Amino acid sequence: MPRRSRRPRTTLLILVLAAITIITLDARGGLHVVTSGVRSAAVDAFAPIRSGVNAVVEPIGSFLAGSVHYGAVREQNQKLQAEIDQLKLEQSAAAQQAQSLKQLSALLNLPYLGNLQTVPAEVTDFGTSDFAATIDIDVGRSDGVQLDMPVVGLGGLVGQVVSVSHHTATVRLITDGQSSVGTRYGPDPGSLAILNGTGAGKPLSADLVPSNTPLTNGEVFTTSGLQGALYPPGIPVAGVVATHTGSSASQESVSLRPLADLAHLRYVTVVLWGPSA
Amino acid sequence: MTARDAARLTLVVFGFVVIQETVMLDIRIGGVHPDIMVLLPIVAGIIGGPGRGATIGFGAGLVADLFLPTPYGLSALVGCLLGFGVGLATVALDRTAWWLAPVAALGGSALYEVTYGALGSVLGQPQMLHVALARIVVVVSVTNALLAWPAMKAMTWGMAQSSTEGMPTSDAGVGSAR
Repeated sequence: MPRRSRRPRTTLLILVLAAITIITLDARGGLHVVTSGVRSAAVDAFAPIRSGVNAVVEPIGSFLAGSVHYGAVREQNQKLQAEIDQLKLEQSAAAQQAQSLKQLSALLNLPYLGNLQTVPAEVTDFGTSDFAATIDIDVGRSDGVQLDMPVVGLGGLVGQVVSVSHHTATVRLITDGQSSVGTRYGPDPGSLAILNGTGAGKPLSADLVPSNTPLTNGEVFTTSGLQGALYPPGIPVAGVVATHTGSSASQESVSLRPLADLAHLRYVTVVLWGPSA
Repeated sequence: MTARDAARLTLVVFGFVVIQETVMLDIRIGGVHPDIMVLLPIVAGIIGGPGRGATIGFGAGLVADLFLPTPYGLSALVGCLLGFGVGLATVALDRTAWWLAPVAALGGSALYEVTYGALGSVLGQPQMLHVALARIVVVVSVTNALLAWPAMKAMTWGMAQSSTEGMPTSDAGVGSAR
């Protein structure tokens, strides 16, 4: 009879216990300082490698795409086509630059931020995990960005900084399932509600809205700014898209759409503000 | 394992990380990007058996977790389970069969993503089950099945001197049924 070594099972048992220990210590805070430090160092160390590889890979991709394109148009007038392409490229680049300028100008003059200090940032990636609604931005500790700082975009609140390295940061979007935002709605001083994320691309849901509250579609919820709140007051968060009162529910079921276009973010603004500020 | 073996394996894992964090993050299929880090425990399990699969799955998972916003250690936990499972499931099969790596990558990746979401949800991240899980499973599984052969080549080089612990030990040799 063939024998199977018991060693792999022992190895698996040890590794599973080690992984569970790491997860538990990380979640309970004991190891979180260490893991977040290691993560931050890894992202910093990897940044030049990433940009170096991208600098090599992107031209190759562009070359291959260009080769395919060249083959398709060779039967036509090559010179004319090249000129058209060049003109289109210039037109597209000019339009893109104008659009960028417009977005950046608007971001620098967001009325609801008042005198709060801000740092503009470019979105470099839409999340490294398929399981969380996050974005990566090109500013970090060296720009004054710290954990938990609010991030806004054109329209309103985008999310909160959840990880910072030297030159980059990760922002949890308000649509992420882990996100909760304290808000006000209705006539001054406004009633309180909590907006919870339900996943990327999905509407927000509201807690603490009493049943039969008269809400109109498009009504805007803004950050509450209560003592100890995660966001400064008065930032527009989301607008009502649907309401529903269940027969026995004590709360109104409210769906809201974020006012910032979270699916097409290009530039955002980090508000240099913390709950203790 | 000698220092040379460890260096080779480290190079392979590093290569996978570089490709994942550069090329793969720029690819979006239906809003989902491929995840080639999942291939490491799968091919390690096929080549080295359950023990090596689990160990490499754990190590690769810890490295992958450095770049993810999800709980630290979750990829390591699922990776070691997957490496062990693939090693165990393929131990009695002809590991040189051309179809083995793509099929293992297809099934293993699907299992990984579902387990990852479910375990993440259990560990206090309920939003991990409120994602387009079916789309993630399809994209990651299919891309990993397509990339299984080059991944096998890379891991074969990385584990060139490694033992195949956990394989059946009898006169009948590898490939015999228990």
